[in-house]
Amino acid sequence: MTLFRDIPIQKKLMSVIFLISGIMLLVTCSSFFVYEFYTFRQTTIQKLSTLGEIISTNSTAALAFQDQESADEILAALKAEPHIVAACLYDKNGKLFSFYPSSLDVKKLPVKSELTGYHFDDSYLQGFQPVVQGSKQLGTLYLRSDLDAMYERFTLYSIITALVIATSLLLAYFLSQILQKSIAKPILALAETVKTISIQGNYSLRAIKLGKDELGSLTDAFNDMIGQIHSQNLTLSEFNQTLEQKVKDRTLELETVNKQLDAFSYSISHDLRAPIRSINNYINILLEDYDEQLDTEAKRLIQVVIQNSQKMGLLIDDLLAFAKLGRKDLAKVPLSMKTMVKEIWEEAHQLESNRNIQFVIQDIPEAYAEKATIRQVWVNLISNALKYSRKKENTSIEISWKENEKEIIYSIQDNGIGFDMKYYNKLFGVFQRLHSAQDFEGTGVGLAIVERIIEKHGGKIWAKSTPNVGTVFYFSLPKHNSV
Amino acid sequence: MRHYIKISLLFAGILILSAQTPSTREYQLKAVFILNFTQFVEWPPNSFSSPQAPLVIGVLGKDPFGNYLEEVLSNEKINGHALVAHRYKSMEDIEKDCHVLYINLSESGKNEKIITNLKGVSILTVSDNPDFLKQGGMIRFYTKDNKIQLQINPEAAKSANLTISSKLLRLAEVITPKLKSK
Repeated sequence: MTLFRDIPIQKKLMSVIFLISGIMLLVTCSSFFVYEFYTFRQTTIQKLSTLGEIISTNSTAALAFQDQESADEILAALKAEPHIVAACLYDKNGKLFSFYPSSLDVKKLPVKSELTGYHFDDSYLQGFQPVVQGSKQLGTLYLRSDLDAMYERFTLYSIITALVIATSLLLAYFLSQILQKSIAKPILALAETVKTISIQGNYSLRAIKLGKDELGSLTDAFNDMIGQIHSQNLTLSEFNQTLEQKVKDRTLELETVNKQLDAFSYSISHDLRAPIRSINNYINILLEDYDEQLDTEAKRLIQVVIQNSQKMGLLIDDLLAFAKLGRKDLAKVPLSMKTMVKEIWEEAHQLESNRNIQFVIQDIPEAYAEKATIRQVWVNLISNALKYSRKKENTSIEISWKENEKEIIYSIQDNGIGFDMKYYNKLFGVFQRLHSAQDFEGTGVGLAIVERIIEKHGGKIWAKSTPNVGTVFYFSLPKHNSV
Repeated sequence: MRHYIKISLLFAGILILSAQTPSTREYQLKAVFILNFTQFVEWPPNSFSSPQAPLVIGVLGKDPFGNYLEEVLSNEKINGHALVAHRYKSMEDIEKDCHVLYINLSESGKNEKIITNLKGVSILTVSDNPDFLKQGGMIRFYTKDNKIQLQINPEAAKSANLTISSKLLRLAEVITPKLKSK
């Protein structure tokens, strides 16, 4: 039945119709056959015993008066019934009195039996019947009939049955060919439509309804469902388009605002530089020209002013650098990162030559990036590493790398003071500082600048840190060919 | 059982008698024939005084059967009637309840008279006399090809209210003589 489950519905319907009609026909025909067989046997027996009755009634006088000629004559009348192959009359003493046909081999005749009545033996129907006049038995009649009539009849019957079955099955075939269409066609049409829709993704297609039956309702339900999907799809894509437009609009707005902001901060920084320079200049002039008039306290106060104005100058320079980044495009070239890092390290190292520092630089690969800005990145990261490990007796800094399919990831690890990861989100913010200015100098712009540079290069920057153990900064740059 | 014993006795008799005179054997067969006539002839019910009354087979004149007739008839029954043989010396002796009458040749000259006397009485008349049927008799034995043959006059039987079965007539030569009285 597993096989039956998998065959196409048209064939399934056909086989069901065929099977049912075939079985019905077979059962009907065989019951008729059996009935006919039984009744025909009965009829044959009855016919033979009727014939026997006639013969025996007619032959009573011949037996009574020993008239063999007459008896022969009576038996010869059996010629009219070609299926009677043998007939014998025995007298009341059981002696053969007359027989038919004259060619009969008398020796082969059955022994006269006390049993009367007819029965089927091998290929004959035969039996004995008493010849009675009044209440007196005058002799016995033996009749034997071949079964040709029966065989003929059953041959005819078989032919008719075969013809009926063949014709009926042929009719069933043609009828089912026509009728199964009304069931299979809508299902196949529906299946075809479903297939087309799922392949083409065309939800505007509809299945054709072929009738008002359950299959029709199914088709309707299917069409309704497809309609709903179609309208939902439309709504969804409309919504998508609106959303995209909105995102575009917002991005544009943001870009504009960003540009404005950049321009604003640039001009502010630029404008702030001039007054701070003039403060610096004038205070230096004051210090030089009025050196003798100023007492120690005044000179100390002036020094504080100078320090703060210098600090402000630095701050403004940093801000200006940060603001500048948004304003210009990158000029990317192949960069030997190792050489660059070494140079920077030499410079930075000079300033803190009294410290015990173990500096390791792995064989980091070339980058494809803008020289000036990437240099700024390394300067900031290396100075940070030096700065936040200042309080350790032995400083260890390692520069390393790894890569994946699309990018090269550079890293710088120190054993400095570190930071609590719960403040990580503030790490790359402008003016955000995780340590006090008393402990570690700085403007709070450095990492913001680094992040901005890396992002502008299409890379990413992140860090991992454990307080008092150290910090690792990672930044990734896309590989040249994957940009 | 007795029936078979009787039959075998009869056959034994026939075998023995075959060595005897032909006429003896002839009358043995004729006795059987007479018995068989009773099976193929119907008598009107009023010919029997009661349903149990015997069917009487009479022999008029000299009896050629001897004991055979009694042997053949013993224990036979036709429609509930036992069979008995009576012998009559003369015509006057014939009883009203006689059913079959065999008339011997010795009384041949009186045949016509006898038959006229029996007119209207249901008695089946049988004889060997060649003119018997012409004289109004019903059944005549004759021998042909060494076999006993029958001649029957159904008209005579009919006028005596007797019905002879067509089966019997089939075997016999049916003769319808012109009666002198007509």
